[in-house]
Amino acid sequence: MSKMKSEARLRSMIQNSSKHFLRNVSRIFKYGVIGFGRNIWLSITATIVTTLTLILLFATVVAGSVLTSTADAMREKIDITIFFKSGTEETALASMANTIKKDSNVKTVAYSTSEEEYEKLYNDYKEKDNQEMLATLEIVGRDLMIQKQPAAMRVKVYNTSDLASIKNIVNNDEEFQENLHKSEKYAPTYDTNSSAIQTISSWANIATKGGTALSILFLIISTLVIFNTIRMAIYSRSEEIYMEKLVGADSSFIRGPFLVEAMMSGIFAGIISSIAGLIIYNALGPKMKAYEISVDSVNAFLAEPRNIVLLFLMLIGTGMVITLISSRLAVQKYLKRF
Amino acid sequence: MILFDHVTKTYVSDKKPALDNVSLHIEANEFVFLVGKSGAGKSTLIKMITKEETPDEGKIIIGGIDLEYVKKRHIPHYRRRIGTVFQDFKLLPTRTVYENVAFALEIAGMSNREIERTVPKVLELVELSDVAYKFPDNISGGQRQRTSIARAVARQPKILIADEPTGNLDIETGRGILDLLQKINDYGTTVLVTTHDANAVNHLKKRVITLRDGKIVSDQKSHGIYRLDGDNDGISLPQPGHLHPETYLDKGDRGNVPVRHKRRLIQ
Repeated sequence: MSKMKSEARLRSMIQNSSKHFLRNVSRIFKYGVIGFGRNIWLSITATIVTTLTLILLFATVVAGSVLTSTADAMREKIDITIFFKSGTEETALASMANTIKKDSNVKTVAYSTSEEEYEKLYNDYKEKDNQEMLATLEIVGRDLMIQKQPAAMRVKVYNTSDLASIKNIVNNDEEFQENLHKSEKYAPTYDTNSSAIQTISSWANIATKGGTALSILFLIISTLVIFNTIRMAIYSRSEEIYMEKLVGADSSFIRGPFLVEAMMSGIFAGIISSIAGLIIYNALGPKMKAYEISVDSVNAFLAEPRNIVLLFLMLIGTGMVITLISSRLAVQKYLKRF
Repeated sequence: MILFDHVTKTYVSDKKPALDNVSLHIEANEFVFLVGKSGAGKSTLIKMITKEETPDEGKIIIGGIDLEYVKKRHIPHYRRRIGTVFQDFKLLPTRTVYENVAFALEIAGMSNREIERTVPKVLELVELSDVAYKFPDNISGGQRQRTSIARAVARQPKILIADEPTGNLDIETGRGILDLLQKINDYGTTVLVTTHDANAVNHLKKRVITLRDGKIVSDQKSHGIYRLDGDNDGISLPQPGHLHPETYLDKGDRGNVPVRHKRRLIQ
């Protein structure tokens, strides 16, 4: 009996305080915006921490992309050079190229005769404006140089760590043995360079995998930092949550403004970090290029205006998600307590 | 209006009960002082009424509602029916006096137009119209307590609970607050004031319930010479040894104490 009467009275109370959803939402937004301004130092702290995280995220993504393309470029540069006796005929070179192409590890084969090699050397010096060497070439004379210049074959491979089959061809094929340059100086490069090839190749692999792992690690750490910053900020206002509860505010009405404040921090942080990230990249990009770091893929991405918008949206979205989750978890703790 | 029937509460960390088999009945429109030293159980009793705590044993019926049946998600709705005033005011520091009062109405879903109409009237009632747009940090203690009272009565609750409302104020300012509470009572609100200040009790000659170690040790009408410790002359009121909670559920909000004003507190 007592239960029924109590519940009937409660029901009428709940109906009387009718649920004005839109009215509540607009009030929550109003108080969120006002709160952001009146707790400006807490807001600034949360925004700065989020901004730093997002810049870090931006940098990691760029670094990852740069590392991958640099690693690819490095792999591209790795080749095996096989020298032949001066004056080896082009037909012989072509036939040997066909032989070596049969190996499944071979990606591309390029060859050049003594004459072409000399031209390459000459043009190279000219391009670098190496007067001393050009003068030497001049003194020795073109014809004599071509006579001394070995012909060359450059082989690019898929897998730099397994060159045994290529070695086998070079060492055992009759045609190769006949034409190979006998001088020590012109021995095939894979023997002398293989350790360097190995090192570069494995570093590129580590960099690609490590970059991804590092980005994830950074993201986790910085989310924890943001979470703690927001938790501290809300801790200092836990009394407010208690007061609002005592006055009879619904949990959603208490939580709402905190979430709006967090969202605003996330949005501002997203915008600031996008702009800062682009400025930093534009300042560092050319310098990186000077160090032969491949920034082309990032440049190509940023060349499209649509992608810039995408970048802004991604960073703002990430910022909002991180701050909203942190704020929600922190407020919930105090809502439950009281 | 407020009924405690053999209520006992022991906190987990304590051996002795904070409230020990307490029974009391406060009628609608009554003005009651709840007196006792700190630790006597006043705050626990108040927290029972606001449903911050639940009793281990016994029944509590407030305004015709048995608190046992108020579900957790309905607590906010229940609390909106009771005005609460605290010793430390518990105002929202980042909101102005006006906004603090308006907040109590906003959470109840009142329209903006109604709020704009009601808040100035409430502020006029508590004589705070001048400082409406100041922040709590920039007004005096008495004004803060008036803000707190304004927030509590803005929704025109049937019950107003004031937990040590004069505790942080000087005697003169405290009297002003008590007079304001008396005024609110005159308009028909049941008022329960806790205090450990004999000055407050003697300023208004009202019913005084004394708690000691979680038990009611006296319940009398004050003659204005109340002393916190010692023998107090007064008319001892009969103890409600055999309350029948069911009958109070039927009575709901009606009481026997006359209301001085026919008009409502806030028009």
